[in-house]
Amino acid sequence: MFEVLDPTPGTAPPAGQLAPRLDTLEGKTIGFISNGKEGTKGFFRHLDQILREEYGVAQVVSRTKSNYSAPADPHIVAEIKGWDAVVSGLGD
Amino acid sequence: MQFASRSYSADSISAVQELYHSNGWTDGLPIVPPTREAVEACLEWVMMPPDQLIGIEPVRGLAITAEKLAINAVMAGCLPMHFPVVVTAWTAMMQEEFLMHGATASTGGCAVLVILNGPIRLEIGASGSFNALANSDRATAVIGRAIRLCLINLLDDRPGVIDRSTLGHPGKFSYCVAEDEEDTTWLPLAEHRGVPKGASSVTVLAAGAPRQLMNEWTTKPEEILETFAAEMRANMRHYSIHPGNYALIIPKQLREHLQAGGWTKADIATFIHERARIHRREWADVGKGAVVRDRGDSVYTAMDSPDQLLVVAAGGPAGGFGAVIPPWLGNKSYAVTLPIGVCVDCEPPKK
Repeated sequence: MFEVLDPTPGTAPPAGQLAPRLDTLEGKTIGFISNGKEGTKGFFRHLDQILREEYGVAQVVSRTKSNYSAPADPHIVAEIKGWDAVVSGLGD
Repeated sequence: MQFASRSYSADSISAVQELYHSNGWTDGLPIVPPTREAVEACLEWVMMPPDQLIGIEPVRGLAITAEKLAINAVMAGCLPMHFPVVVTAWTAMMQEEFLMHGATASTGGCAVLVILNGPIRLEIGASGSFNALANSDRATAVIGRAIRLCLINLLDDRPGVIDRSTLGHPGKFSYCVAEDEEDTTWLPLAEHRGVPKGASSVTVLAAGAPRQLMNEWTTKPEEILETFAAEMRANMRHYSIHPGNYALIIPKQLREHLQAGGWTKADIATFIHERARIHRREWADVGKGAVVRDRGDSVYTAMDSPDQLLVVAAGGPAGGFGAVIPPWLGNKSYAVTLPIGVCVDCEPPKK
């Protein structure tokens, strides 16, 4: 008989809280956080157009991380509170 | 000793294997059952209580305790004497400049290379000779494997979960090498990186697979090193052009030609820094013309400066071989060297 131990943390990592969902995108400010990879350019350009033309978004703010493998830079994170929603897209 | 971990009962060794495999807790190979006794022995060796905080993973905020490292180290086959290396390697990996989350989650598919220096190599039987970088000895095999099992189980670095590697490489099972300090006139890597002479230490590098090379047809240091530089240029053309911590593994045959010529590690690094550089336009020769743009004349160096090169004496005694180990992705992650800690006034944990 073996008594063996669980090698995993057993608890989930601390999770962020989701902001309240929006009822509409009309007139809202949406932030894009790009990781800067090649594939993000066309994706965000297209999404910008859809959000403005089809959903009536008032403003799109585009920001790009300085290191695509690291968390967003503090100055970008600081801006988020001024936005109604954020799209953080991968470009691979 | 009080453990926080849940325990399981299993009737047989095969039941243990199935329990761990079916929960996704392995690298696919059989594990050593992490019993209370085996885990306690590791913790006693380093004189740490189970809840000793080794560090907080900087991106996701995960607390890494000695208990969890020890469980995974036992699973990998570590004996208690190997455990200080695992603890120090993980401490190094949690330094911000290592960017562990990025390096281990990336599509780039790198592994953590662990380089051992100092007396602990001899104490644990870590060999820097025949078959270095692979199954050269028990110590480097199980230490390297422990690093990976900890990543899998503590950070959820499972393929397709946090580990998004497009391609991995065999070093993701185990990637550990001991420098052959006894058979060289060169300063050990750790001393170059500021660790006092005689201290045992660990260097971690987020690294691609070794690129093997051969030059048995010269004794001239410049020609030998030109082969290493050419392999680095190839990596810059074919993989990533960005500068970072490259490692050179130089076995004895080539090392002796360099040493006979009076070349130190610093001389090697200076030469390599001059030679391992390419023009951006060379990307067009290898099918990457689309990203040359108007910057074809720009010169890129493999390292920002010579001191970014990690020169390691290791490998079997015969054969004009060597290896270049490239960084995961330039300077996104930096190599970290830490001495293996000795607590002079610690008491053993209470049972």
